[in-house]
Amino acid sequence: MTPVLEVNNLGVAFGGIRAVDGVSFAAEPNAITTIIGPNGAGKSTLFNLISGLIRPNSGRVILGGVDRTGAAPHLMQRAGLGRSFQITNLFFELTVFENLRLAAQRLEPMRRFLLPTGKSDRALAQVGTLIDRFGLHAKIGELAGTLSHGEQRRLEIAVALAAKPSILLLDEPTQGMSHADTADTANLIRDLARNVTILLIEHDIGVVMDISDHIVVMHQGKKLTEGAPSVVRADPAVKSAYFGHA
Amino acid sequence: MHDGSVVQVKSRPVIDRLGIAMRASHVLVVLFVIGGIVFAAIGTAMGDTFFLRLATEALIFAGLALSVDILLGYTGLLSLGQALYFGLGAYVSAVVLKQIPSFWAAMAAVLLVSLVVGFAAGLIANRVRGVYFALVTFGLAQVVAKAIYNTRALGASDGLIGVPIVPVDFGVVTVMSNAPAGFFLVTLGVIVILYAISGYLLDTPFGRVLIALRANERRVPFLGYSTRNARLAAYVIAAVVAALSGALYPMLRGFVSPELLFFSTSGNAVITVVIGGVGTLAGALYGGVILTVLKSVVGSMTENHLIVIGLLFMAVVIFLPKGLMGLARPQIERLLGREAR
Repeated sequence: MTPVLEVNNLGVAFGGIRAVDGVSFAAEPNAITTIIGPNGAGKSTLFNLISGLIRPNSGRVILGGVDRTGAAPHLMQRAGLGRSFQITNLFFELTVFENLRLAAQRLEPMRRFLLPTGKSDRALAQVGTLIDRFGLHAKIGELAGTLSHGEQRRLEIAVALAAKPSILLLDEPTQGMSHADTADTANLIRDLARNVTILLIEHDIGVVMDISDHIVVMHQGKKLTEGAPSVVRADPAVKSAYFGHA
Repeated sequence: MHDGSVVQVKSRPVIDRLGIAMRASHVLVVLFVIGGIVFAAIGTAMGDTFFLRLATEALIFAGLALSVDILLGYTGLLSLGQALYFGLGAYVSAVVLKQIPSFWAAMAAVLLVSLVVGFAAGLIANRVRGVYFALVTFGLAQVVAKAIYNTRALGASDGLIGVPIVPVDFGVVTVMSNAPAGFFLVTLGVIVILYAISGYLLDTPFGRVLIALRANERRVPFLGYSTRNARLAAYVIAAVVAALSGALYPMLRGFVSPELLFFSTSGNAVITVVIGGVGTLAGALYGGVILTVLKSVVGSMTENHLIVIGLLFMAVVIFLPKGLMGLARPQIERLLGREAR
């Protein structure tokens, strides 16, 4: 199978510091590929490079078989990339409904762009599917800013998923969640992977080992190793770099 | 009646707050129009000229405020130079009318020129954000104002005088621009059409992208929209609205002057929107009328009327952060929401 996303020798430096340094990996269809690594390993920078927020100094980003290196975020979105953020990045003064409707309106044909929003039936159907899947029924009319942290984190994923991307980049989706919410979210991500390829950054090592198909370990901007969870867990280099002195 | 305020999500009705808010603004504008027609009827019956012409001027400046609200209230862009387009519209209209005394020719020329200038200036202004955007719009307006101020062909500091009275030909009826009630109604019509087009656009997926820009610009690219293009589109629409409003000015007054492009004009438009209610569109219309009437009435009592306007502005910002529309619109939204259920 051809990978949905291929990253080749990707690198960027900020004032001499190589934040991401020659990283290569591939995300296979309908699999969960997880990037792990200690703080400062360059995981979020890698996400920003892939999603177009930062232009790389070197390397290639190939999405769906097409070289998209350096494309702007809105073009990456149109090429089939959806992403969520480590720090919740929603339209806080708009309702849950409007957050999702806005995120789903790319599903509509262009000619509806200048027709009343009430005519956007594909977007509205997608909002219905998302509130079911993410359990946001009771909150649909609430402002996103008034939701609990856990609900905001779920909405964050729903917004990223709304335009039916071919690959979903999730940046620490369980960040700040309770144990119960973390387990629910892990199940949800596992479930999402049946329909979409997932690239994940996650700190909760239990979740990582549980749901990942493939793990990429980063350390100081470089790829340390990659492989199946069992392989990565047994790697002595990973133990010293990531699990550290525990 | 189909409207965008209630949508079916999984066959359950969901209140669309933005749609309801827009419908509430429509209700307030319908009331505004009814008030305007009643006013025109009373004015005509009493043989008034002064108040009808004052109200016409108020409507023209309300159109400028409307353009500021599209930027400030919906897209989250503070323009301190919207008078650039208002003055541009007024000058282009005056120049055209002195050659061809045709309402439609003047409006068409203003539409075309404002599209081109708005696009070009928008490319410059939208290179920066926030305070810098405000400063660039301010600077652009000052440059153009000074250029006109020093151009002999455009009357320099005196402005252009002697704009003829023009017939506004609607096919069935023709209204002369010096007919107090007639031209008041023409102006009301133009401003309401500009309102209706703005309101319509803001209620489309395109308009929601503008609202998303104000709410959180950083997320918008990840929904698949170029923030630069969206901001540019909002800027051009606002330029056209301001210019078409300005185009009516020489028809009413028979002259244009460089003051129309000065900062006081831009600043007044921002004050109008804040007093009326930011992000309501209807507030720009009510605010425009209130501010112009206040200026005229208070101005006839004291030369220090700007102090009164300033105090009013501060009071509204402190006590009515949602402006005058904040007093009425939430109740209308509630009524519309209940009826929709």
